[in-house]
Amino acid sequence: MSPRSERSVRVSGGFCLLVLWFAVVNGWELLAVVLGAAAIHELGHYLVLRSLGAGIKGLRLSVFGAVLETDSTRMSYLGELAAVLAGPAANLLCVLLLAPMGGRWTVFLGANLVLCMFNLLPVRPLDGGKALGLLVSWAAGPAAGEWAVRWIGASAASALAAGICYVMWRSGGSLWLLPAAGGLLAAAGLECSGKTAFL
Amino acid sequence: MTSRQAGRGISTIAAQRRKTGGKRGGARQAVRRRNEALRPQERRRLLQLVACSGIFVLLVAAKLLLPAKMAQFNERLSGALRQNMDVKAVFSAVGRAITGEDNAGGAMEDVYQAVFHPEKGETMETAALEELPLDESAALDDLREYRMKSLTADQQTAEGEADAKTEQTEVSTLAYVLYSDKNLPEDVSLEQAILGFDYCTPVCGTLTSNFGYREHPVEGEERFHYGVDLAADTGTAISCFADGTVTAVGESSSYGRYCIVTHEGGYSTLYAHCSRVTASSGTAVKEGQKIAEVGESGMATGPHLHFELHRDGTYLNPIYYVSAV
Repeated sequence: MSPRSERSVRVSGGFCLLVLWFAVVNGWELLAVVLGAAAIHELGHYLVLRSLGAGIKGLRLSVFGAVLETDSTRMSYLGELAAVLAGPAANLLCVLLLAPMGGRWTVFLGANLVLCMFNLLPVRPLDGGKALGLLVSWAAGPAAGEWAVRWIGASAASALAAGICYVMWRSGGSLWLLPAAGGLLAAAGLECSGKTAFL
Repeated sequence: MTSRQAGRGISTIAAQRRKTGGKRGGARQAVRRRNEALRPQERRRLLQLVACSGIFVLLVAAKLLLPAKMAQFNERLSGALRQNMDVKAVFSAVGRAITGEDNAGGAMEDVYQAVFHPEKGETMETAALEELPLDESAALDDLREYRMKSLTADQQTAEGEADAKTEQTEVSTLAYVLYSDKNLPEDVSLEQAILGFDYCTPVCGTLTSNFGYREHPVEGEERFHYGVDLAADTGTAISCFADGTVTAVGESSSYGRYCIVTHEGGYSTLYAHCSRVTASSGTAVKEGQKIAEVGESGMATGPHLHFELHRDGTYLNPIYYVSAV
């Protein structure tokens, strides 16, 4: 394997647009906060993967967020579970460390906690879904894991999407959560149709 | 097109044909090979193109065929899109919940506010709009009934005293309906509360509109005005009413750029129509500190500060606490 393909960072045009849009709407300061929280998250994954000796193919930044491409074929369920949970755990650790500081760190704390919680949703492209699948696979076999993550993921995603739509309708306002609802519905649809190649 | 240009056009086409004509078979083979190699990607690109052009054609057709519907839809959509989500407020609310500055319930409410902006301004105004005609019509019905009754009473003055007595009770209940504060919107209190903290006038300006019913300067109908308007030049510094925390910074179609500062004892103050808000959400502010500048953003007819005082969701009359020129 050539060293270039070993660790490549791919940034899609959509990601650049998203970052630019976010900066324009919310300011560079907040962009730095969000990117910082995301960096801590990915750093968590990266460190655990490195310590477990897994190959890291690269980092892909797209409209849907940052994804570490790993070569997880030689990892045990528990090892992979640790790597998957390391991202949210890094955020959580950051929150716990910074919580006593308070003051001007509150926004950063909040960003970390929101990112952690969001990633722990039991829907597949997110860490929570992957962790659920790995946990059940480890306890009851891969078929059970796949089944569990498919149904739990699909129902959780549809319920969340329905909830978001309901609140949006009730408040009669902001459409900013519509992409989130759409994404969740898409994830639920993919789980139901059994197409998980996108993972 | 001049004949010379036309001639060149024809000659270049001919030249191209001559060039490709020579090894036609080979070229076709190459094309087919490339086709096979790139097929999935090409198909995806083609699908994307078809989808995009389909959406474009559909939208253009909708705009051409149903202009009125489209304009209405456009308005609603842009109204919904204008409501920005205050990401920073979400984060700072969550952060405050962790550090213990705020309890979980309060944080949840702040997050809901920040994400969905049940647009304080808008809901209040629509609430006032929805409530007022109802109250008015009820009062008018009473009045109409009263007039009818008094007419019939006039006609039948010869009738017994018993009737007159019931008439009197009618009148007194009616008086109650018309002159009590029942006509106030539910969330308004006219009391002069003792705040329990130091405060100052946010802007030294002319009082142009008081708290209470007034004819809306833009919409033209009678509406409840939930604050006081202090007119001052654009860019005049707005100082914070009292010590507190900035809990919301936002923009709405009616309030324009506004911010809300929460003080102790359940009080909060709102500063609307600012040209810009200099304080950021989540920061602690002191009494007299500059938090914004006077402007005429939102529904305003001139530069002024619209100042509201709330206590646990009730509107109080701020006039007791500000001194106007």
